[in-house]
Amino acid sequence: LSNYRDQHFKGSRTQQEEKLKASTTLYVGNLSFYTTEEQIWELFSRGGDVKRIIMGLDKHKRTPCGFCFVEYYDRADAENCMRYVNGTRLDDRIVRTDWDAGFVEGRQ
Amino acid sequence: MSRRRAHEDDDSDSDDGRSRSKRHRTENIDIEERLEKLILKVGDKSSASLESNLEGLAAVLEHDIANYKTKIIRILCDVVIGYPDKMTVYTTLVGLLNAKNYTCGGEFIEILVRDLKDVLKACEFEKARYMILFLADLVNCHVVSASSLLSLYDNFIEVCLEDNIPQTRSDWYVHTVLYTLPWVGKELFLNKENEFNKLLVSIQSYLGKRSKTHLHALKVWSSDSPHVQEDRLDCMWAQIKHLQSNAWTERLIRRPYLAFESALQDALQHTLPNIIPPSHHEDALYPLPVVVFRMFDYTDVPDETTVLPGSHSIERFIIDEQLHLTLLLNQYERKDCAATLLMFKEEKIPLNYMIIETVFAQMFRLPNPPTVEIFYHSLILELCKLQPSTMPIVLVQATEMLFSRLDSMNTVCIERFVNWLSYHLSNFQFKWTWEDWSEVLKMDPMAPKAMFVRELLTKCLWLSYHKRIVEMCPDEFASILPAEPRPKFRYHAPDDEIETETMPELMYSLRLTKSIKAKCTPEDVLDFLKEIPNPLDDSVEHTHNPLAIDVFVQTLLNLGAKSFSHSFAAIAKFNKVFKELGSSDEGQQCILKSMYDLWSDHQQMMLVLVNKMMKTNLLSVSAVANWIFSEEMMRDFTRFYVWDTLHASIRKMNKQVNQLQLEVEEMKDKKEEAANKVNDGLDVDENVPTEDDIEALEEKLDTAQSDQKNLFLIIFQRFIMMLSNHIANSETHGQEVNTLWFKWALDRLRQVFLQHHSVVRQYNNTLETLMFTSDIDFHILTVFNEFQALRG
Repeated sequence: LSNYRDQHFKGSRTQQEEKLKASTTLYVGNLSFYTTEEQIWELFSRGGDVKRIIMGLDKHKRTPCGFCFVEYYDRADAENCMRYVNGTRLDDRIVRTDWDAGFVEGRQ
Repeated sequence: MSRRRAHEDDDSDSDDGRSRSKRHRTENIDIEERLEKLILKVGDKSSASLESNLEGLAAVLEHDIANYKTKIIRILCDVVIGYPDKMTVYTTLVGLLNAKNYTCGGEFIEILVRDLKDVLKACEFEKARYMILFLADLVNCHVVSASSLLSLYDNFIEVCLEDNIPQTRSDWYVHTVLYTLPWVGKELFLNKENEFNKLLVSIQSYLGKRSKTHLHALKVWSSDSPHVQEDRLDCMWAQIKHLQSNAWTERLIRRPYLAFESALQDALQHTLPNIIPPSHHEDALYPLPVVVFRMFDYTDVPDETTVLPGSHSIERFIIDEQLHLTLLLNQYERKDCAATLLMFKEEKIPLNYMIIETVFAQMFRLPNPPTVEIFYHSLILELCKLQPSTMPIVLVQATEMLFSRLDSMNTVCIERFVNWLSYHLSNFQFKWTWEDWSEVLKMDPMAPKAMFVRELLTKCLWLSYHKRIVEMCPDEFASILPAEPRPKFRYHAPDDEIETETMPELMYSLRLTKSIKAKCTPEDVLDFLKEIPNPLDDSVEHTHNPLAIDVFVQTLLNLGAKSFSHSFAAIAKFNKVFKELGSSDEGQQCILKSMYDLWSDHQQMMLVLVNKMMKTNLLSVSAVANWIFSEEMMRDFTRFYVWDTLHASIRKMNKQVNQLQLEVEEMKDKKEEAANKVNDGLDVDENVPTEDDIEALEEKLDTAQSDQKNLFLIIFQRFIMMLSNHIANSETHGQEVNTLWFKWALDRLRQVFLQHHSVVRQYNNTLETLMFTSDIDFHILTVFNEFQALRG
């Protein structure tokens, strides 16, 4: 586990750690604003079956703003992406992935 | 699972059952942990020499043996499978311990042999191989007597004489013996020349009798030019012969024990107990045969100061094995893996070439690579990062070679090649001299090279966007570029409203669009769809209305065309409508057809949507399989996304069965546990599953299993029909049977067998008696026979 933590997480630090260890969701950062869901889908499917992708949107403009959440069906597939996709390029930018405790509506 | 991790787990039980005071116990654990750390660390990078570290550690262990013998022996046995890359370091350590304390050496052997018997019984052959190699190398350390190792090998070779066993069983035992000879061959030759020669003669006669039917199914290239794709055992035999001709001498294996010759020389040796291979049984699964991957020879290396060892030299074997082992042990840490690979400081070998060959060997291994493909892709990126001036050059050369050999490459491997290269190029701004491949523009679009470039561009498109692909390719590539991925909506309303009113279908779609935009409910939609007249012959009852389905599917998905998420949301909202429309098989076929008509230019969308609808049970796996073989899909039949979809349907089915199997077992365990508790007079938790619960779940499992079997039978049936039709047609028209299309189709059939071989195996009887019978064409039957030979 790395140092990134969702600042808005409701619950104790330990609860958050527990959730992260069982999570099948990744936070993906450092994306270009022009990167589409389709591109992210292709890259992250290489680790396993993706369940859904939630694009991070700008609060006011409702446009992509450089991050997203990728949710897998299986933990093992998400682990593959942490190991092998993290730190490689999409749209010429190095993508950063991290565990996320699960997406809750409104976080984009 | 990581071996290292497995080994840590094992350790946690070893303190059980000790009754000592708590303080004493903590102290012991501290010392035990320290001992373990020391043992695990030896052989790693250090400022002192390996020899002095080993000597020091042996002294420490000798001192602690009085109090911690069991623990020390346990740790040493665990490193055998946990750290096979440091095998000779640990055999030396055991040798030094044995020289100081003969009983301790004896106990170590006893426990290792007991472990070996256990893993053989459990069919954990990879672990068993490491253990046997360790025992063999202990001969070099004067711990095990050469004659007792030879009797062990005699027992192993006797397996070749057993009747009615699969060849994979005898292969494994022979392979394991051969595998140890680079380490121990010399000692056996020096001490027991006659017996050793006899062993080699038996091995040779076995190798001469082996069937090679499986070979064709596992070859990356069907052609043996420029490199022969050999069976691993045959190749190893040639390498061992080479070693023998050098008087069993090689110079690449690190042998720390040579520095301790005087200390080890006088040690007493142990005799191995008699180890008899556990007999064969129905459920025993032996490792599949392997074909040796070769893409380079010495002429490919431009640097004349290094020479690539020949394919049949013992050096090639030793370096290849070390590289393969490095990949296996570091598969979870691509950075460490790349760094460790590049650390091999053997003199005068073209290391980069050997590394790339090893990575490709694993990536292209049939039926499946040892690790997920994306590991190899990211490992190659790391290698380029660490060696930016040399590695990319080797990769470009390798890519050109793979491209030039596409004509005889197995389709599955072409697919993996596309997956890797598209990902690799997307990490390097898609820079490639595409002009070099312009020869494909003049080719039959079904020629492997043309197909490769088209699929590669498609995958590059998925990782980027259409404009970028157009810009990166030379203009002349226009004919082979993927289409712009746009929806082809059938119900575009013309500007003129009056004209619309004269076309009823357009009206339906328009009205549906309006109500969906006005946030209508699924029930509203269902009511509305009932108004659409059924174009099918009305003299019979119909389970579905193709027009209603088409209007609904096209209109809804076109409204959600903006992104995958929009489409998913649309499908989720109108889930009920899809369920209703797809309540019959025909209905599901119509849904798929309407989707395809809308998205035939956006293959990724098709793939993702069909997957999603299978996962949410809006489409059945058999409907998807039937659709793939349908008339409408014939024009896309050779496209890669179609096969991605088919294999996704199979994986979905397999996963469902596995999950249910697991649940049934868990439930039974729970029930048993509760029953035991009752017997012991203990309280039972709530939620104990009843007999009825178990029965209900087992019934579900039964259904899933028959769905699974049904899916495979549909796929095979469809293949047989299609391939037989092709053959019959070619014969009536006096045309060549072996067309490009036929080759693709046969390879795809082979892929279904290979990638899911452990599941398909269960249906062997049905397949043999009902489908792949002697009266079908030999082209098709051969594929089935090769598959059977895999485990034969």
